[in-house]
Parts: sequence; structure tokens; C-alpha cells
Amino acid sequence: MKTVARDIMDTGFHTISPQTPISEAVKIFKQASGKEGRRIFGMMVLDDSGKLVGMLSMYDILLFMRPKHVHIWGKMDDIDLAGIIDRSCEKAKSIRVGDIMSQEIVTIGPNTHKFMILDIMIKQHIRRLPVVENDKILGIVYISDLFYDVLDRFTDVRPPG
Amino acid sequence: MSKSVQNTLSGKVVASAIRRRINILGKNSTISSAISTLIKYKIGGLLVVDEDQSPIGVVSKTNILGAYYASLPLDSPLEHLMTSPALFCQLDDPLEKALGKMKEHQIYRLYVKDPENDSVVGALAYPDIVAILYEYCSRCPQSLFSQTPDSTETGIERSLVADCMTRGIKSVNMDELLYQVVEELTMHHMGAILVIDADGHGRGVISKTDLILAYNHGVSLETPASEMMSVPIRSCRENDMLEEAIRSMIFSDVHRLFVKVPNSEEFSGVFSLTDAARNKSGSCLACTSSRIQITSH
Repeated sequence: MKTVARDIMDTGFHTISPQTPISEAVKIFKQASGKEGRRIFGMMVLDDSGKLVGMLSMYDILLFMRPKHVHIWGKMDDIDLAGIIDRSCEKAKSIRVGDIMSQEIVTIGPNTHKFMILDIMIKQHIRRLPVVENDKILGIVYISDLFYDVLDRFTDVRPPG
Repeated sequence: MSKSVQNTLSGKVVASAIRRRINILGKNSTISSAISTLIKYKIGGLLVVDEDQSPIGVVSKTNILGAYYASLPLDSPLEHLMTSPALFCQLDDPLEKALGKMKEHQIYRLYVKDPENDSVVGALAYPDIVAILYEYCSRCPQSLFSQTPDSTETGIERSLVADCMTRGIKSVNMDELLYQVVEELTMHHMGAILVIDADGHGRGVISKTDLILAYNHGVSLETPASEMMSVPIRSCRENDMLEEAIRSMIFSDVHRLFVKVPNSEEFSGVFSLTDAARNKSGSCLACTSSRIQITSH
């Protein structure tokens, strides 16, 4: 029975450098998703020495692309949307992964119990947790892995007798 | 047309203009982490809290620029550079009172507390005030954008960029170094500066945002301005309608436009969202929006 991070984690994880331009990061997300056969929404950011320095999620990228005053757009009818996405992309040219990654990272050990992992994810609104031991990255646990682990338990239940 | 003057901000309370998302970092968080937050959320400053999550200061782009100039390592804790204490207003304060406090302390952002439980619930900043004023104006039947080719002339005097802009241009040469750019921006309390070539023509702009990115990328302060400047120079003309210029800034995420004199490529000043907030809502002179006096910016 899968009980700890080591049992659930994905060891075929993808990483990215803080120096990578955002435009390149988007391509890497797409390639990683194709390779894994599932959507990859976040990646670990490793510096040149292999140290975990941050996490980059699609949410981070979309936050940067979102126009600052978009909250008033819904109340206005004179919005000229032409060119807005192009302008956002133009601005993103000088932005690197290290400029928008989340640096306050929560990690877990390989023996962290899955319910503890679930608790951390729920309380801190985290969807993926790097598994680290002695500064070495062993894998990553996605919230979907936890979900399917629970789902498997439900579907595996056989009626008694 | 009614001669009575109305103030678009009268009766509005802080709650109507604040941004509910507050960006908070601990006092031991790094400068690099603060830069990521400022860039990602397109904000000018963030709140710093202690171990008990109590607010103890503010870190702005200006503080980070100071750290760059002093060559502080990017992993330095925010408590080494924050401005303390953080200043607050209350959720139910009149907007005018809060703006008065911003003027008094010459700051661009106030954090907002809920009087019910003293918790921090938002932040109030000039660009957000311009946005709500613009929203107000855009709904007004006398707005420039409400006019059709068949509209009859209302006789309302419309404001131009020339009425609200800050006159005078500060610039640096393309071969001046980044530390000199930081000195100029700091000395003149500016958010961005024009970069000119040997003939005095504007070639690009360097903003505080460009400089904190340079800091985060490890760019030396000895780097020439020409290598870090942004192009093209976003501009408008003195005789452009004020609301057109404001709309351009709001929808393009630009905080300022460099202003050219009519029929010329010569720059005569800068028009920023702060100027817009300081002067009026931007549409016409039919109603008087709050005039926010800023003695230094």
C-alpha cells in the first residue's frame, strides 16, 4: 500500500533554470507535457549547482501576463483588445524564470505520510511538492497523484465474501 | 448644463478603491523574492511582516534600487532595506482623507485595515484611483467616448495632456552607466528617465522596473544605459485628449508616457498615472475630481 511520498512521487520530473527566458519556459512546459502524456502545470527551478531555488507554475506566468487593471474591464465597454496580448508578450521578452518564480518553497521528505502531504497541500494551497533529502531532489508529488491514489482505493474495494 | 460642481470622489470610501490582494513577505525573505513579487504582480511595493505576521514595514522599488546601488547581495533580508513603519488607513475612511495622508507623507501607497478586527485587508495606490476615476468618466454621458458623430457640442471644455503633465525632461546619455542612472532617478524622485543619443534624440527609457530586473539578473552597475534601456519610448502629445492618454496607460500597463510638443519629435515632459490622479479624472471640466496635491514625485 502506498503510504509515503516515496511511493507516490513522480521521479521523471522536469526542471528549469532561473536564467531561462519566459518565452522559452512556455515551450519547455509544452514539451514536458507532450513527453509525460499529461499537462505539466509547474516545474522546479534549479540553479547551476543543482540547488532548488524556486517553483515556476503556469499561474506565475499568467499572473505576469494579466493586465494590471483588468478588474475594471468588465464594467467598461470601450476596451480595445487589439494588440493587448502582443504588448504583454513584448514586455515578457526581458523577463526570466527567476524574475517571477515563487521562491518561498515548501518541500517534503521521502517518508512524509500521504495524509500529511494532503494536509500541507490543502492548508497552503499547493498543488505540487518537491521531495528532497539531504539537499538532493528525489521527485515531486502532484495533487493529482494523491487524488488518483485515493480513487484507486475506492475503486479497488471489493464487496465482502 | 448644471453649473453645480460635483466631486467624483465625494462620498466614496477607501473600500471602493482598494486592491484586495495584498502582497506580504516576511522580514527574512530575500530581495530576490521581493523583486519576483513586484514584477509578477506589477506593483510598486509590498508589506513586510515579522514572525507574528504583524506589519513592520514596506519595501518599494525605490528601496530595492537603493540596495542595488549599495551592491547588497540578492539574498539579503528585507528588514535590511524596508521603510518602517508601514502606514495605514481604515476601510471606512473617506477616500479624500486617505489621499490626504498619502500627500502628507509623500507616499504612493497606503495599506488598509478593517476597523472591525484591525486586520490588513488591502492596499490603496494612485494607479487604482485613476482606474476608478476613469471608470466613472467612461460611464458619463458627457464623456468623450460617449460622443458620436451626431452628438451636439456640449460646450464642455475638455482637458488635454498639457493641462496635467509634469513639464521638463531629465535624461541620461546612452553611454552613461547604470549607477549614474540610479543616481539621477533617486535625485529627481522619478520612476523612469529618457535615454538620449549624442544628438539629443530620445532612444529609449530606463525605468525603476528595468533596473530592479537588471539587479536580479546580476547586471553590473558599470553597464552603459544603452544596454538596459527599453524601446520604443511610449509617448503622447501635449494636445492629446487627457482621457485618451489615460486609457492608453491603463490598457497597456504603462505608468507614464513621455510627452512630445505638437508637430515635433521634441519631448517636453512626462505624463504619469500619478499626474492624472493629482489633477483630475481626465475627461472634461464638467465635474471636479479630487485634486491630489503631491509636492514631490
